[in-house]
Amino acid sequence: MLGQALPRIDGPYKVSGAAKYTSDRRVENMAYAVAVGSTVAAGRIARLDVSKALEVAGVIEVFGRGNIGKLYKPSPEAGMFDEARPPFADDAIRYYGQYVALVVAETFEAATAAAGLVEVSYREAEPNVALDLAPDDEPNEVSQRGDPAAAFDAAPVKIDQNYVTPAETHNPIELHATVAIYDGERFTIYETTQAVTNTRNVLSEILGVPREKVRIIMKFLGSGFGGKLWPWTHGTLAAAAARSLGRPVKLVVTRKQMFEAVGHRARTQQRVRMSAERDGTLTSLQHDAVNAAGMLDEYDENCGEATPYFYGTDNLRVTAAQTRRNIGSPTAMRGPGAVPGLFATESAYDELALALGMDPVALRLHNEPAQDQDLAIPFSSRHYTECLTLGAERFGWSQRTPEVGSMRRDGTILGWGMAGCSWIAARFGAEARVELHADGSARVLTGTQDIGTGTYTILAQYVADATGIPVERVVVEIGDTDLPPGPISGGSMVTASMVPAVLEAVRKAMKSAVGLAAKGDAAPFKGVPADQLVFADGRIGRKDSTAGAVPFADILQAASVAFVSGSGKAEGSFGQEHPKYSLHSYGAQFIEVGWQPEIARLRVHRIVTVVDAGRIINPRMARNQIEGALVMGVGMALFEEAHYDPRSGAPINSNLADYVMATHADAPHMDVTFLDYPDTKLNELGVRGVGEIGLAGVAPAITAAVYHATGARVRVLPVTIEKLLLGP
Amino acid sequence: MSGQALVSASAAVATEAPPARPAPPGIDIVFTVNGKRVEATLDPRATLLDTLRETLDLTGTKKGCDHGQCGACTVHVNGRRVNACLSFAVMHDGDTITTIEGLGTPEHLHPMQAAFVAQDGYQCGYCTPGQIMSAAALLSEPCGPANADVAELMSGNICRCGAYQNIVAAVQSVRQRG
Repeated sequence: MLGQALPRIDGPYKVSGAAKYTSDRRVENMAYAVAVGSTVAAGRIARLDVSKALEVAGVIEVFGRGNIGKLYKPSPEAGMFDEARPPFADDAIRYYGQYVALVVAETFEAATAAAGLVEVSYREAEPNVALDLAPDDEPNEVSQRGDPAAAFDAAPVKIDQNYVTPAETHNPIELHATVAIYDGERFTIYETTQAVTNTRNVLSEILGVPREKVRIIMKFLGSGFGGKLWPWTHGTLAAAAARSLGRPVKLVVTRKQMFEAVGHRARTQQRVRMSAERDGTLTSLQHDAVNAAGMLDEYDENCGEATPYFYGTDNLRVTAAQTRRNIGSPTAMRGPGAVPGLFATESAYDELALALGMDPVALRLHNEPAQDQDLAIPFSSRHYTECLTLGAERFGWSQRTPEVGSMRRDGTILGWGMAGCSWIAARFGAEARVELHADGSARVLTGTQDIGTGTYTILAQYVADATGIPVERVVVEIGDTDLPPGPISGGSMVTASMVPAVLEAVRKAMKSAVGLAAKGDAAPFKGVPADQLVFADGRIGRKDSTAGAVPFADILQAASVAFVSGSGKAEGSFGQEHPKYSLHSYGAQFIEVGWQPEIARLRVHRIVTVVDAGRIINPRMARNQIEGALVMGVGMALFEEAHYDPRSGAPINSNLADYVMATHADAPHMDVTFLDYPDTKLNELGVRGVGEIGLAGVAPAITAAVYHATGARVRVLPVTIEKLLLGP
Repeated sequence: MSGQALVSASAAVATEAPPARPAPPGIDIVFTVNGKRVEATLDPRATLLDTLRETLDLTGTKKGCDHGQCGACTVHVNGRRVNACLSFAVMHDGDTITTIEGLGTPEHLHPMQAAFVAQDGYQCGYCTPGQIMSAAALLSEPCGPANADVAELMSGNICRCGAYQNIVAAVQSVRQRG
């Protein structure tokens, strides 16, 4: 059961339109809201004229600062949020698209028409969306050991380069949406969220009501990639409008607004200094990162996340800094920190290998550390060198000739590049309940989410494996704050986080069923001590003999019990102060690009990926996760950048034709291998997670391949064609 | 409290009464949706997509961009795939529309729907109805045999989860069965 490539249990619902996503919710007497965004990026509202909007037939109300009702700032303890200022809190405008009004109407068409008639004039200020990033304040030292400056100065071979990753937007195909219902006392809110519990906790403080008066439901999420982790202002506005009107309100953010007010991956600028002996021994590493943040933010992209432990060196310094811009708040996007950080450091390794005249795989193998030098603790389960060697073998790396432009096939210049990757492994706190029913079915209940990652199926596999109940008889209830609190769907941690809580719950439920088997007049094992009985393969029988085992359902029926249940709870390991082990996933990306300078055509042909992510529970879904991340990596490397107009501060390519994401035709051939070494330091099944690791290392492997094909070293993503036409 | 009270310390609100803007008169149409005759009086501003979702409760068809750029709203109109967000519903008087709900149900999946489940041709599932409607229409379009041919003809449907390799495998598995 564990390790089997089962099809998703929610698949038939997804392929038939039966799966209910947030904006699919239709409730009685529902009104439609459309938010109006600022058309300047800095300044103040001078005049807000809603009179024309109010005259539109079907308009119920237009909300602004004067009539939205009281909204509070969440306390720091409320939970996670990026935009702390409640919507409409003041007349100041700090980014383009900041909501200034909300139209509510009987129909979406009326609300849309009226939103276009809300007239706002501004006292405009000069927006700052400058691309060059210099720290606003003294950089924060993230990690330090030895004397990196002295080692750098003394080294025979060194690299000192700047790398830039642009603002990227998550752009899940599902638009952010809220359906808010207020019954005069309690809010029921359908929200596009990767974290129902956190959304409940934060929203309750913003609305100024106790947590138990807010229920958040999210049964299917049209993906999030981090953009739907923490609550955004549209959800607050929909809830406040529902409270004011006493009617359910549906608000669906437009695609254009998805570029403005629901987060993005922060632009980063990273200086990497790296030095080595002539044999490739890394003598120092300095990684100084700056990221853009919103005007009221503290957002730290944490680019140095993987730098301190990934390779061995005695001299290291990592710093982080921010600089504020008139942009919407950045937020975590798939592999925050490590993904842009590894673009810089893995690119620098490739440049260092060139400077040394060394193979980039050999350089990495040479600097494999014996332990986590940052924390001076052992790695729990690290198989990075096997990722490198197996990836090289599957790719055919030994056939590579290192000279630029030296490899060709069918008239196309080939470029071969590679990079390593790593991602944190940890558990969030989790609770779960498991019920075993007299009809032979099971239910598992926890307030986590399935965001397309396969959590519905994974939880069913856990319970099916422990009980022997067929997976199709396991009902999974998630995505609701009325359930026992579950982890956020972020950080690639749900599959690992749920192990201890679900196993404890299911074992308690099984123990309860075993107890029934030995007690009561109708019990089949009346008088047999419970410790002599065992629950296996859906049956309860004697430990010493499989003969005569009875289906657990029969035992519940005999005892006239509808169901037995058990609860489980596990503390998290994320953010632990003194960990005993350094827990991470690892991988290697080997990539071939094709370059046709005659027609300026660059394509990613194929990617070979080897991933060390602990034990794989469902290889079909896990492979899909990695492949999807690779496709996103192609977009990150070649296409994706949100462009802010320096005059207006507007994200100007705010649609899916001008913000280019990889399509079917852009997808390379992908070959994914999992090493499948269980990491039992994290949980008893040895599960880590696969959501983010696949994106890490893709962009630097592509730019390394592009260099190999063209001689142009692209340090500012994405690799647009004009950067190649300029030559090396 | 009314929107007319939107006055802040720094922002004054205009008070002159604008001309009333009546709702556009509804337009009667008759069309066939998933095999059923539907008579409706529709707002001429309503797209086919919003009409399917908000008036006819066929929420399987998804809104991803409202600009014809993502393909999530793909339905069949008279047997051909179209983006439902790019036409007004009232333009479809007399047309035959098929949505994902008309293709198959969880209990009785269309072969293309079953192939998406078997090949894991999705992750979050949001673009999936559009992918499947495109793929089902592709079966009767001129399309070469190679994976690259299928990828080219499916490129109007963006999958941000990037399940492309599995989607193409699903489409090819149905095509190869004939």
